[in-house]
Amino acid sequence: MTNPITKDRLHFEDLKVSEVIQLGSYKISKDDIINFATEFDPLPFHLDEAVAKKSLLGGLASSGWQTAGLSLRMLVDEFLSKIAGMGGLGFDNLKWKRPLMKNDTLTGTVTISSLRRSNSHPEMGIVVLDFDMRNQKDQGVMTLSLTNLVEVRDPTAPFEEDAA
Amino acid sequence: MTLWFEDIDTHTVWPLGEYTFTEEEIIRFAKRYDPQYFHTDPEAAKHSHFGGLIASGWHTVSVGHKVMVDFMFAHDEELKAKGEEPGVAGPSPGVNKMEFKAPVRSGDTIRFDLTVKNMRKSNSLPGWGLLTSVISAYNEQDELVYRSEIASFSKLRDYKPKLKERVMLAMAAMPVFRKLLRK
Repeated sequence: MTNPITKDRLHFEDLKVSEVIQLGSYKISKDDIINFATEFDPLPFHLDEAVAKKSLLGGLASSGWQTAGLSLRMLVDEFLSKIAGMGGLGFDNLKWKRPLMKNDTLTGTVTISSLRRSNSHPEMGIVVLDFDMRNQKDQGVMTLSLTNLVEVRDPTAPFEEDAA
Repeated sequence: MTLWFEDIDTHTVWPLGEYTFTEEEIIRFAKRYDPQYFHTDPEAAKHSHFGGLIASGWHTVSVGHKVMVDFMFAHDEELKAKGEEPGVAGPSPGVNKMEFKAPVRSGDTIRFDLTVKNMRKSNSLPGWGLLTSVISAYNEQDELVYRSEIASFSKLRDYKPKLKERVMLAMAAMPVFRKLLRK
């Protein structure tokens, strides 16, 4: 059964290990930080600049979950909206290396580190995507490995040897 | 956790609370952070293998975090009401593992719980303990929605720093030295 939404997008067969996706960039404002924190992470040091200055973060910084969400959004814009994606299985080794401070610009790259067919669902491919997110000074902000599913164009094709 | 490191154990299951997801919120979050068609468009989502609109996993996780923060605030108040001083939680260095197990759909009520799996005194941050906590989310059918392993810091109540460390900590708290340290 062909999915009319995704039939013309890139499928599992079109992806290559080591392919690097250059993400766009986003400058985070004080309002962005406070709006997200109010809804999802209302700790005083994400809401109040005076409190933030005295905290371990040393100033107003985004919630780590907001940094993660903004990074994902960039990957959707550059990659996930162009492939026949089937959602995510999860992620590993998310590291918040440095806070994303007010007026910092977030950017980064994502590298396809592994591709394999699902054993239990031959119509699904599993793609691992390694994020390397940085600020405008090229300092590391966040890394993580996202594991997502992508449609296989020809599920009847025999399994090739897994790409590393 | 709002407990001091010394008061934390690795068997208590903390029920953090629950949250009901609406279609409007699922779409609003996804349009901002995860605009894939099965998160933003209920009609198009019918063609996906999910068969309909589902919440972004990152939305579910962000809500789980909010439920945890609200639980911590409420627990602080409970401790204060008993005349006890709440502990101090520090920032999280990261998430070891996050597994999305079952989709969340509009109208689903998801409950979250937390158990500390591992705890030790931090080597890098004197006076703090390093915790690995498992946060799990379940739907009304008791299906596991996600399971995560998150690292975080918790302050030691009985920590007495050595003189050298006290001087270093005092210096680190001064803005001029903090700028140098950051470089």
